[in-house]
Order: sequence, then C-alpha cells, then structure tokens
Amino acid sequence: MKTHFKTWLLALIGLTVLSGLPMSSAQAHGEKALEPFIRMRTIQWYDVQWSTQKFNVDDEVSVSGKFHVAEDWPISVPKPEASFLNISTPGPVLIRTERYLNGKPWVNSVALQPGGDYEFKVVLKGRLPGRYHIHPFFNLKDAGQVMGPGAWLEIGGAASDFSNTIKTISGEAIDMESFGLSNGIFWHLFWGLLAAAWLIWWVCRPLFISRYRMLEAGLEHELVTKNDKLIAKLILVGVPVLVLVLNEITANRYPDAIPLQAGLDQILPLPAQVNAGTVNVDTLKAEYNVAQRSMVLQVKVDNRSQSPVRIGEFSTSNVHFLNPALSLSGVMTGDNDITSPGLSIDDDKPIEPGEQRVVTLIARDAAWESEKLDGLIRDADSRIGGLLFLYDELLGQRYISSISAAVIPKFS
Amino acid sequence: MSAHIPVSTFKPYRGEKARLARAYDYLILVLALFLFIGSFHLHFALTVGDWDFWVDWKDRQWWPLVTPLIGITFPAAVQAVLWDKFRLPLGATLCVTALLLGTWVTRVFAYHYWNYFPINMVLPATMLPGALVLDALLMLTNSLTITSIFGGAAFALLFYPSNWPIFGMFHQPVEYANSQLTVADLFGFQYIRTGMPEYLRIIERGTLRTYGQYATPLSAFCSALLCSLMYPLWWHIGKWFASTRYLTKI
Ligand SMILES: [Cu+2]
Repeated sequence: MKTHFKTWLLALIGLTVLSGLPMSSAQAHGEKALEPFIRMRTIQWYDVQWSTQKFNVDDEVSVSGKFHVAEDWPISVPKPEASFLNISTPGPVLIRTERYLNGKPWVNSVALQPGGDYEFKVVLKGRLPGRYHIHPFFNLKDAGQVMGPGAWLEIGGAASDFSNTIKTISGEAIDMESFGLSNGIFWHLFWGLLAAAWLIWWVCRPLFISRYRMLEAGLEHELVTKNDKLIAKLILVGVPVLVLVLNEITANRYPDAIPLQAGLDQILPLPAQVNAGTVNVDTLKAEYNVAQRSMVLQVKVDNRSQSPVRIGEFSTSNVHFLNPALSLSGVMTGDNDITSPGLSIDDDKPIEPGEQRVVTLIARDAAWESEKLDGLIRDADSRIGGLLFLYDELLGQRYISSISAAVIPKFS
Repeated sequence: MSAHIPVSTFKPYRGEKARLARAYDYLILVLALFLFIGSFHLHFALTVGDWDFWVDWKDRQWWPLVTPLIGITFPAAVQAVLWDKFRLPLGATLCVTALLLGTWVTRVFAYHYWNYFPINMVLPATMLPGALVLDALLMLTNSLTITSIFGGAAFALLFYPSNWPIFGMFHQPVEYANSQLTVADLFGFQYIRTGMPEYLRIIERGTLRTYGQYATPLSAFCSALLCSLMYPLWWHIGKWFASTRYLTKI
C-alpha cells in the first residue's frame, strides 16, 4: 500500500510538472521549420558576428550584425509591425543586458519596414556554464521565427559566479536573482497557514460518511457549531480588512509603482545599404535544377560606380555561395553558417564603370537540399529572395543588391 | 432538536465502524487533494497560463480580470458537493490550496530547475483570501444566491489587493535603455524566453485602457460581475458531476 502510494505520488508530481512546462525548450531550434520562401524573403541576415565564443559566467559577450528586410515580403506573411530580435537559448543560460537597433537602445518590439536596412547588437551575459548552440533570430508577430546564423558558445566558470544587480529609479540596488523571493514566499506561507488552519479545523472531525448520515437524519444543526460560526464571521470580516490593510501598507511603501510598460519602440531604418543605387542588379530569371542542386540566376548588373566590380557572393537564408575567384576571407560568419564555394559566373570579367551586363550565376551546393530550401519549387509561393554581394577590389568597396524572382524548376 | 426525523433513531458509528469511516475520510481527502492538484492546476495552466506564470504578465487590466474568473470555477463546483452533501465549508479553500501546491511544484521544478528561470520571475499569485471568504460566506448563509453574488464579487475584488504585497515591489520603476521600465518588465527583457517575445503579452489592450488610472478597479468590478455568474454555473456543474458519478454509492 505504502509503496503504491509513493509511486502514485511521484507520478502525480511528474504529471503536474509536465502540465506546466514552459514552451521555451521545445521551440529552441526551429531554423528549418518555416517555409523556405519565408526564410529567404523576410529577414535577410549578413555580417553576423560574435565578439567571442568562449567566455565565463558573468562575462559579457555580444552578437552584432546586419539585416535587410526584404522588399519582396511574402503576401501570405503579415507585415513586420511588431518584431522582436530574440536569442535562441535553452532557457536563460545567458541574460540579455543590452540590445541596440541602428545604435539606439532597444527594449520592446519594433515595426520593421520592408526594404529597410538595420544593424543590431545584443549584449549578453553568461549565467550557466555549458556549451550551447545559439542563434539570433526574429520573432515576427503572427508569422513565426526567422533564424539568424548559429554559433557554438562555450561558457566556463561556475553558476555561482553569476550576479545581476540593477538600480531602481529611487537608487535602490536590487539583485534580480532573488529580489522579492523571500517576500513572496512569506505571503504564500502566511495565507497558506491560515488556509491550513481552516482546513484542519474541519478535517479533525469525522467527515464524509458520518456527516452525510447526520445530514440525512436531519441533524444539520449539529454539523455546524457555534464556534464554527464565530470563526466564519471572523474570517468574513477579518480577511477582507486584513487584505485591504496589507494592500494599503504596500501601496504606501512603493508609492511610485507604475503599470507594466506596453509601448513599441520606434526606430527608423538606416540610409540604404542594400540597393543603394550605385550598382544596380535586376533579377531576370531564376531556375532551380533539381538534379544538380543548383540555382541558376540570370541578372542584369548596371555598374554606376567609378571602378570595376565583380560578383563575390550570393547568400540566402544563412547559406553563403562564394565565388572562389575572389578571396573573400572576411565574409565568414557564425560557424553554423553554410559557406560554399559553389558560386560560378558565366562571364566573370570585372564589370566596368558605366557597363550594363547580363550575367548568369550558378549557385550550386547540396545545401539547397540539406537546408530544405528546395521545397520552394513545391510551395504555394515559389519566389526566391537573397542578397548579392559585389566587390570593388580596387577601392575595397562592397555593394549589396537584393535578388527576387519566381523560381522555375528544371528536372534534367 | 426540531428535525423532521426523530433524533432517537439516529445512531452514530462507534468502534470498528467509526474507524473505518475515518479511514475512508482520509482516503477520500488524499484522493481529492491529488485530483484537484492535477485537474485544477492543469485547467488553470491552460487558461490563465502566462498571466500566472510570469511576473511581467501580471498587469493591472487582464490579470485581475481573468485570474479570479477562472479561479472560481473549481471552488464553486467542489463547494457544491462538500456543502450540499456533507455541510463541509471548505471546498474553495481546499481547491485553491491544491492549486497552489501544484503550482509551486511546477514553478520550482519545471521553471526553475529544468528551465533555469529564477523563481521570483515565476511566483504564483494567491487566491486564498478570496477562497476563505467564499467558504465562510457559504457556511453562514447556506444560500447559493447570496454566495454567488457577494462571494463571487468578494473573490474577484480581493484578488488584486491580496496579491499586491507580493507583486507591488516588482512595479518599481527602473531607468533602462533610455526608457522607464518596471522591474517586472526588466525580468522579461533580461531572462530570455525564446518562445515569448514581449509583443505577445496581453497587457494594456482593449477599451478599459481609456479609463486610465482606474483600469484596475474597473477590471476588478468587471471580474466581480462575471464571477457572480461563473459561480452558480460551476456550482451546478459540480452538483451534476457528483450526483451522476461519485456519490451514488454512499
Ligand atoms: Cu542551432
């Protein structure tokens, strides 16, 4: 009997715990879950970098980068009117201490403008030691999570090294890890003991069968005694009075308490970084060759800059196809990014200033399949999006253009 | 001593019979406790959910409206059985105690140890003062109508003030990132919740907002009205449940 009871107890505790599980752990890695056209044509990440990938608990680390909000935003995805740059972690193993968008402090969600360019920086602080795969990503309201590139972070040290003290406006320093905890436990115990006393007061006497029989026998008046009534009256008056008095005391103790804040941040895009006008790229046609796992893009490049440019990279959904003819060592980003030398160009001579040229790019890599981007050709919206990086090797300039076109599948 | 049935015919259990009845009491109590811990807690987690989980969801508008409204359901149903059949005025207190036990276990194990959130970020709210008043009122009046109207209202109205001593301090303002936040908001920003960006919080939305400073009392009165309707509804659900299932055998 006793052992059975213990198993039951454990099972029930287990169930109780499970029933209240927060969702965060299950959703940590949804990088390939969204349809490819959403991953390619919403937030287009580039230049994402971690300040360090090996650090200790209580040390700060930052991730910074840029993103272009596709102008060819899919019609089936709600516009990014409330967007939140988040970090995929298995729970708060790091805390977020600062976040900036275009250099401005950024706490709440923000409305992003399709076609806009942004740069971000998130400062984090190690809280629990371990090795974690972490991505910056965007929560887009009503649309889902668009993942940025991932990286392995190794947090050393001990969990006890962590501290998180902040200052209220009145100047009081508070420890976020324990603030209000003992107070909260105190009030739960306080009311819990009163409730327990009331329960025990009743549970001490014979309960169900005998009370049921007495009630049936018409002995109702014996079931509730004078003392019971007295205590009930005390509760009826005393509890509300006590609640109001305690509430008043708290209100006086924290006179400048404010409601939870619910505003959106208002941050405008940077001056155009992508499609800035100096080198224009127009996508003429896109074909996906299923057998070769290659995307064939026909683009018209119009070089209005002062010096020749070459096409160096095509990137989409954190997959980077590099032109091996250029030495682009600085392009590498997070270690989960897929970087492939699979970009070839039919006419790779530098495009001269003032020249307009139609070129065919072939981005070929198994990543189209492994990253589940090839599902595009079977989807309701089969337009591709991405960024094309052109380099001026003389001046060390980089020009970025966005690519967007409907994709036609080729099966041979 | 003016009952309809002659008192002389009633013989209380003695000896072995009394001991068995007592053992039965405890069995039922323990089973009921776990049943309520499981079912009420699940019901609460699925409905009130985030409002009760997170300190930065406990706003002045939706939290005091939704929580008592859902919180009064099981207490009403259990009171209907325990008072009607046994004249035991402890249904509400028992339910809310069970709920809190389940909630605390979850917060400590699932939120703190498993998902690393500090416990102060996921402190539960209490509804015990309202539950005590509900039990006392039912006992003194023995009336469904009066308990619905005044008990339901008290349950809703007492909710916010009885929790302010726990959560008031989390509403102190902090200057952060060139803006004013509460300590609670800061928890939401610092302690990363992957699945829950700040825009998902349902706070300060809807027409109640136009009443500015009076948002909380208005929400509480609105909740009081709804609780007065919710109470009899769940009372009848409780009675139906008891009459058709469990008590036919006694
Ligand atoms: Cu990852």
